Amino acid sequence: MRRLLGSVTVAGLVAGLVMAFGVAPREETQGNVQRIMYLHVPSVWVAYLAFAVVLVCSVVYLVRRAEGADQLAHASAEVGVLFTGITIATGSIWGRPTWGTWWTWDARLTTVSILFVMYLGYLLLRGMIEDRERGARFAAVLGIIAAFNIPLVHFSVIWWRTLHQPPSLMKPGGAAMPDIIRYALFVNFAAFTLLYAYFVIRRARVLRLEAEADA
Amino acid sequence: MPDNWGFVFTAYGLAAVVLTLYWRFLVRREKELDDAGVVRQQLRQSSSASGPQAAGGGRLP
Repeated sequence: MRRLLGSVTVAGLVAGLVMAFGVAPREETQGNVQRIMYLHVPSVWVAYLAFAVVLVCSVVYLVRRAEGADQLAHASAEVGVLFTGITIATGSIWGRPTWGTWWTWDARLTTVSILFVMYLGYLLLRGMIEDRERGARFAAVLGIIAAFNIPLVHFSVIWWRTLHQPPSLMKPGGAAMPDIIRYALFVNFAAFTLLYAYFVIRRARVLRLEAEADA
Repeated sequence: MPDNWGFVFTAYGLAAVVLTLYWRFLVRREKELDDAGVVRQQLRQSSSASGPQAAGGGRLP
């Protein structure tokens, strides 16, 4: 099953690259550097998804004390931090030629940095507390609090004046982009979602084996 | 606007390196834990097998 998911994920990533570099046209204003979007936007989508899973699993853990929910939250947070890091790095690389700067403290970049630091703190908190049950409980509370930052990140470009462009896909009145670019983006969304699922399944298994070894 | 292919390849290359390293970490850690689990199981089996033998040893003349 896991091997099959791995193979489908690799196929999806290859299809995503073909769509990003072979099918999607060169953007008129930005040129080919806009192709970073097919990596940057799916990465932040996976980060949102990962932290939403952390939120749900944290609530389930606090209600039922199910160890599996805690392991899933832990795995999802780790993968979310990985993809948030990729989002920040690729955004910075994209920003240099288009905005003329690697970094600026605008609302979107600042809120996404806070999101990154909060979930990094979530992972550090888990590592710092020796008592597994206590660590899981504290992490679940932090996982719920940190999730409130997700809408703040998404709507920051609408609520405040920012250098970052407003949403072009998930905005009222439909997407403001040509169909071919939207399809290329959707293929990459699907591929990155599969990659997220693959990583989380593997990481959750590692966490389960570690818990068994410690018991 | 110039195409800035260098920025494009840097972004994709960086993501590829990070994701590959994470995948390798998961595979290696999983293998370590699987191997350790097999060793623990073998130790448990050998200790449970040696228990009755020691008790039986007491019946020897």
